Amino acid sequence: MTPNTHERINSVVRALSEVVLPHLPPEASLAQEQVHLCIGHLKILGAQLDAIPGYEREELDDAIAIAKALSGISGGSETQAAQTALAASVDAADGSDVRAQRQAINIAVETLVHATSADGDEQSKTALTAIILEYEHARAQKDRAWFAPFGFDTL
Amino acid sequence: MTTTVEMESIYKKILDRRTANRDLPPYRAALSSEITDLLAGFFKKEKPGATVSGVRRVGGGASKEQFFFTLSEAGQDEQYLLRMDPRIAITETDREREHILLQAMDGVVPVPKTAWVDPNAEFFPQSAAIMHVVDGVTKPSDAGVKVTGLGTWLGEDLRAKLRDQFLDYLVAIHAFDWRSANLPTFEAPDADPKQAARWSFNYWREIWRLDEGETRPIMALAEQWLANNMPDCDDLCLTHGDYRTGNYLFEEDTGRITALLDWELARIGDFHEDLGWVLMQIFGTIENGTFRASDLFEREEFIREYEKRSGRTVNRKTLHYYDILSSWKAYIIVGANGPAAARSQHNHQDVLLTFLSTTIPMFADDLVRLLGQEEPQ
Repeated sequence: MTPNTHERINSVVRALSEVVLPHLPPEASLAQEQVHLCIGHLKILGAQLDAIPGYEREELDDAIAIAKALSGISGGSETQAAQTALAASVDAADGSDVRAQRQAINIAVETLVHATSADGDEQSKTALTAIILEYEHARAQKDRAWFAPFGFDTL
Repeated sequence: MTTTVEMESIYKKILDRRTANRDLPPYRAALSSEITDLLAGFFKKEKPGATVSGVRRVGGGASKEQFFFTLSEAGQDEQYLLRMDPRIAITETDREREHILLQAMDGVVPVPKTAWVDPNAEFFPQSAAIMHVVDGVTKPSDAGVKVTGLGTWLGEDLRAKLRDQFLDYLVAIHAFDWRSANLPTFEAPDADPKQAARWSFNYWREIWRLDEGETRPIMALAEQWLANNMPDCDDLCLTHGDYRTGNYLFEEDTGRITALLDWELARIGDFHEDLGWVLMQIFGTIENGTFRASDLFEREEFIREYEKRSGRTVNRKTLHYYDILSSWKAYIIVGANGPAAARSQHNHQDVLLTFLSTTIPMFADDLVRLLGQEEPQ
């Protein structure tokens, strides 16, 4: 049995809030600011801890979905090469390393975006924009909701 | 290695410096006692007989290390502000250029006065400037009573007092006769009509790559759209670069603006670039469904009033370009520049930079909204 992660985070938050913060002198403004940020950050991390693997897996699934939706984008040799690389990045995405695999797909999509601008079919250029806007709209809503506890967003 | 991509020379130097600083050991926040010793040593040379006291750190801000202090000489006390770069900042800029511009703008619009500058870190650990202190606040003391949005909520009374000054000073900056001014390091993008947009785009794309920003499809699409749709500029002017509520000081009781701050991103360019930044949703507020830029003007009202007071015509297509550039640039700042500084442990407030990086999805969503809009004609 390992110590409960939530209890460990909560104990750090309590130490920072009730022991460290009250003992900082009023002139230690930077230290006070940063302790407050640490407490806030840790509380959110604690609240999201159990959901993080699912969130990151969903990010990868969404990257795979947009890559597949873009598979019909066609054009000259540059676009074709980018499509081949994108397909390979999707094939390699077995979920064993969700962050690296998501990043690899996103890099391949970026290459496809630039390639399509260079030698993609006119229809494909329009379709690529529409697909990215549709999928990224949905992804951005999920990300905004995920980071809303940080207090910047008005979602 | 110096980039071969076309941009203003100073920005090539800034990118070189950022690259070189990455290999330096981690940076930690300076202690007030260390700053006191540094200042005492500096003034021993600059003002023999003067004494330094009351060094205290200035809170807030995400970019520079700042300290208030008192300099006493012949029975006279004067308050100053030391503004020092961290080793790697969320916005990498040049202290000497800022100093040159502040001197040029003195008397044109209210600005802080620079007293000393150490642009090449010959005395201070990083490049630094010492400014005379200006009275005023950047947000009202009851700013906690915010409606919504990241921007500062000013309230009806202050809004009424500040809005004309805010707009008139922007108009005055854009009307500044930069051609006749002595502005070394400021280069004019006048080789062709698209050079103003190209220099801006190139710099931000280079620093995005340098800081290894993690791409996503909307950022790739935005970058390509910006590369393909650069507008012409036939009316070059001085731009502030970060003009918004939060970047000026005002007297809370009278609402008088006492100083326009944060000139470090100023350049010769297209006035639409400033307008796009002012009009960013994240710097404004939304009250009862109504958006106000910098909590001062509704979007169309701002554009209309700017045209009326400046005599310029706002080109909607160009403004659309700079709306998109602004959100793309803000994404780069919080999503690549801040995290790179934190990752390398070269900043004094890594935890703030990673906290700010959680705003990334808001800019991604902004880009989706803007790129999905029908392009104005």
